[in-house]
Formats: sequence, structure tokens, C-alpha cells
Amino acid sequence: MKLITKFVLIYLTVTIIVLGIAGFVSYHIIKGELDNELKWRFLDRIERVTYLLEQGENLESTVQDDDDTNLKIVALPNRVEPDVEIRDTLVWHDRLQQREPNLKMVAYRNVDGSGYRITTYGALVESDDITEAVIQILLWILGLQVIGAVGVGFIVSNRLFKPFRKTLKQIKNFTLKDKKPITAEETSVSEFDDLNKFVEEMTSKAVSDYKNLKEFAENASHELQTPLSIIKGKLELLTQTDLSTEQYKFVEDSQRSVKKLSRLSESLALLTKIENHEFTETKEVNLSELITESIQSFDEFIALNGLTVEAEVEDDVTVQMHPVLADILWTNLFQNAIKHNVKEGSIDISLNSQRLRISNTGDPLSSTPEELFQRFKKDSVDSNSIGLGLAIIKRIVDQYHYTISYTHKDGWHTINIDFQH
Amino acid sequence: MKLLIIEDNEDLLQNIQTYLKREGYICESAKSYSAAFDKVMSYTYDVVLIDIMIPGGSGLQVLRELKSVNPETGTIIISAKNALDDKVEGLELGADDYITKPFQLPELHARIKAVNRRQQRDGKEIINVNEISINTKTMEVTVDGNPVNLTPKEYELLLYFSSNKNHVLSKQTIAEHLWGDYVDHLENLDFLYQHIKNLRKKLENAGADDYIESVYGIGYKFKVH
Repeated sequence: MKLITKFVLIYLTVTIIVLGIAGFVSYHIIKGELDNELKWRFLDRIERVTYLLEQGENLESTVQDDDDTNLKIVALPNRVEPDVEIRDTLVWHDRLQQREPNLKMVAYRNVDGSGYRITTYGALVESDDITEAVIQILLWILGLQVIGAVGVGFIVSNRLFKPFRKTLKQIKNFTLKDKKPITAEETSVSEFDDLNKFVEEMTSKAVSDYKNLKEFAENASHELQTPLSIIKGKLELLTQTDLSTEQYKFVEDSQRSVKKLSRLSESLALLTKIENHEFTETKEVNLSELITESIQSFDEFIALNGLTVEAEVEDDVTVQMHPVLADILWTNLFQNAIKHNVKEGSIDISLNSQRLRISNTGDPLSSTPEELFQRFKKDSVDSNSIGLGLAIIKRIVDQYHYTISYTHKDGWHTINIDFQH
Repeated sequence: MKLLIIEDNEDLLQNIQTYLKREGYICESAKSYSAAFDKVMSYTYDVVLIDIMIPGGSGLQVLRELKSVNPETGTIIISAKNALDDKVEGLELGADDYITKPFQLPELHARIKAVNRRQQRDGKEIINVNEISINTKTMEVTVDGNPVNLTPKEYELLLYFSSNKNHVLSKQTIAEHLWGDYVDHLENLDFLYQHIKNLRKKLENAGADDYIESVYGIGYKFKVH
């Protein structure tokens, strides 16, 4: 939900609550005022009657049945305490054919030593009518509020939030690869200024951290190669001296480990580079040619491992990729299929414009397929494998938003890469 | 053959020198840009090995200057950077070959020989190992004048052996030379045995001595006295 929508909704909710309370209070105030007004009018009437009685007019017999005044004067035998009683009552209304709430006022007065009871009553303004009026007023107010809130909301979101949306867009478009931090712009709102300044600081920190990390990863990989070269050379020189077979064996094993170490650092450097999006240029790569040629160059190993390769490669299947990544992707896949195969096994390759599928016979996995694409997750105990091949494949596939899946069925391991996004 | 090795790392330099001196090369070394510059300007060498990252400057700059005064000199760039850019730039500047760290000394040696052969014009493309002669231009091999029909891989193998005579060469080293990084992932290098066996058989049938000696558990040695 948009901030402004939320804001308007909260505002309207509060308005409704406030208007509800206001309605309740208004109702009571209006009703109180009207009732008081009626009382004053009755009191006034009673005073007038009392005055007329004092003037000696005989009103007793002339009970006024003038419906308007509803005045009733009754002479009492004794003197009374002057008093006024107010009562609510229901009176039959002829025209409306129903009982209506009325206010009844009974006053006791002494005139010339004799007591009188003066009664008068009249219709109250109905509560329903007041409620109706109050609600009508409130609805009008509410309507105007809604129009106001929505209107202000639009202006606010369009005008006031302009710098905010701009910052948001900058953040969205920000990539570490450009190595350019977002620069803060002056706005008239201090909160946005704070935000922009924070974004600027954060992105420049991210950029510098990224640079450091990248340099570190690259340098570490490069710096490793020199000592490895030295070790390798020394071992080689050692093999030229007069060594026993056992000693040779040790040297050979050391050489293999050195080789593995060097491959490991190369692969890690490669992964870092892919992760840092250093291979962003894309060209049209002809996968069909790449695969066909590579099968030929691996020919000897395939034959020597007793493997059979079935390739169903559609002509001129092209993808938009960095050529180096395309090569690494395929080579890793293919080497993987050779390496994890069984004696006299098979490899099945199928390529068309939608997908690339490579299957190979092999021992079942002991780990879960999900773990397969993680770094250093090796299924085999094969010490020659460094466990980065599939991680690299996954990285490359992710960069191009392809989907990769692994299945194992009837002794066949299948990796499928779908080129559709 | 006179070599200049431009390399700032003492240990690595020593490795290369030890290996190459044993082969009878005259090796000189330079550990910084200025030293390399002086030597390149003052003397001539058959082959110069250039490390790209050296103190005081870039190896590529040395290469540029060397090519301006002595374009005939064979050059091999050594780099820890597997960066494609360096490689392209180096080769564009006229380097004859490019090798990345960590490398095998026999591999380096084979490349020095190959570069050197390319520099020679006066019939030195023929390598003679006793009765065996290898013509690196036509890629023909003869034993006492009798032609031997070798496959490209067998030819490469023989050339590699002749470049590294009397050295024990491990199977891994040989395989890497012949097939490059593809063999990285292969555990079983028995296929090499097939090639060696065929080469040996073909040479023997043509009347050559058996120079290829198996070193048990390690690899092979091309033994020539």
C-alpha cells in the first residue's frame, strides 16, 4: 500500500471517530438547548397566568382547550408551597395518530390566599429529528474531508515526495559495478536531506568496500600464484636430483597438491569476478559450434575413459553471453559429466534454442541435489575435485537469468539449463 | 644460448636459473625495471623472459623498448595475472609467447626452445638427437634418414622430450604440455602411456635406440648420452 493511501486512510479513520464523538456531543447540546428553550417558554406562560390570576381574572373555569397552549388551571382548596415540576410525558397526537414525547410543566402558585395548579405541556422536538440533522451535517463534513484528504494526498505525493521518489530511483539504478556513489541533492525538506545524505554515505562506503574486496580477492589470487610457482619449480628441480622411487612419489603428490591449490585460487578469483559482474559484455555466442568443437577436443579422454557420447545438437543455436563465460559454463558442465561418470558410461547432450541438457551415467548422489550447487559441496570423495565447478556454473546461469535444474533418474544425472527467463 | 630473465622474485628466479643453467644456457637476470632496461639496451640476448609486474615499471614497457632496439630477440612474457588484456597487449607488442604462473619448468624450457627456433633462420630448424632428427619446420622426423610417420601428438611428445633431455618428466607435466588444462580434471593419465608406447615403437621400428625410459611411478625420462 502506498504511503499516501495509508496516510489518507488513517486520516479518514480518525476523522470518522472524531465526527462520531462530535455528533454525540452535538446531539446532546442541541437537545439541551431546545429543551431549555421550551422550559423558559412554559415558565414565561405560567408567570403570565399567575399575573392574570393576581389581577383577579377568573381563569379557573375557562380551562383553555386551545390545543396550542394546552393550559389547565385548577384551584386547590388549600394554600400550597410554590413549586415547579417538570416531567416528560407521552401525549396522544391526533394528527399523527401516535403518542409523541411531550414536556409537561406543573406549577403550584398562591394567588390571594388560595392555591392553584397550573399545568401546561407541549411537544418536544423529536430526538430522531435532531439525530437526522446532526448526521446530515456530519456527512457533509465527512464528504468534504474525503475530497480534501484525497486532493491534498495527491498534491503531497506528487509535489512533496518528488525528491524522495528521485532518491528511490537513484537507489534502484545503483550498481556497485559503476563504482559511482549516489550524490545527495539539496531539498527543502530536512528529512529528505537526511535520507539523501545517508544514502550518499552508505553508497560511497559500499563502493569503497567493494573496491577493497575486489582488489583483495584479485590480489590474493595473484599473489598466491608466485609462491606456488616457486614451490612448483623447487619440486621440479628436486625431481631432477637422484631420488628414490618413494621420494619421487612424495614429490609427485606435493606437485599435485600445489596444482590443486593453484586451480582453487584461480577458480575462486573467477567466481569473485563473476559475482562482481565483471563479465557484463555480451556477444552472440554460437553454442552449437562451441559444443561440437569441444566434444572433438575431448575426444581422446572420452575414448580413453571408455565413454560414449550422444550429442543431439541443433545447428546455430546462439545465446547472448560473454564468450569467456559461455566457454567456462560449457567446459565445466562437460568436464563434470566426464569426471563423475562410471567406466563404460555414457554422456547424453541435447541442445536446442530453448535449452541445453546434459546427462551422464554415474553413481547416485549421497547428498541432496540442492546442496550440489553450493561452494565446496562435493559428493564424491574424489580428492582431485575442488568443488567449485557447479558453483561457477550456477553463478553464470544466475547472471543470465537462466534456470538450471538437476534430476537423477535410473542412474542418469541430468542437468538442464533453460534459456527462457 | 644467452638468456635474460627479468623477474623480481628471488626464489622464482633461482628456480628458472638452476633449471636452465643445467641445460647449458648462459643466464643473466634483472630484478627491476631499471636493471632490465640497462641490460636490454646494452647487450643482445637470444631469448628474454619478462615478468610483467616488476618494481619500478612494467614488464610490458621493457618489452616495448626491447622491440624498438632489438626486434629479433625472442620474448616470453611471464605473468601471475591470468588476465586476457595483458596477454593480448603483450602479444600485440610482439612477444613471442605468454606463460602464466605457476608454470612447469620443463614447459618453460620447451617454450624457450620453440621461440628460439623461430628466431633462427639458418637451417637450425633441424634438431638432432643422435640418429633422430626433427625438422620443426616441416614437422618431419627421420631416423638415419628414414622417415618416421608420427601423429601430431607423438611429434609434440618427441619434441618435448628432446627439449628436456635427461630430465625426469612426470606424467602430469607431459599431459599438461600436450593437452593443456583439459587434463586438470582427469585422475587417470594412463592414456599417456598409449602415446608413449606408440612413439617408442615407431622410433624403434625405424632403427632408433630406445631413449624413453620409464621412471616407475613418476613418469618418463628421455635419456641421451
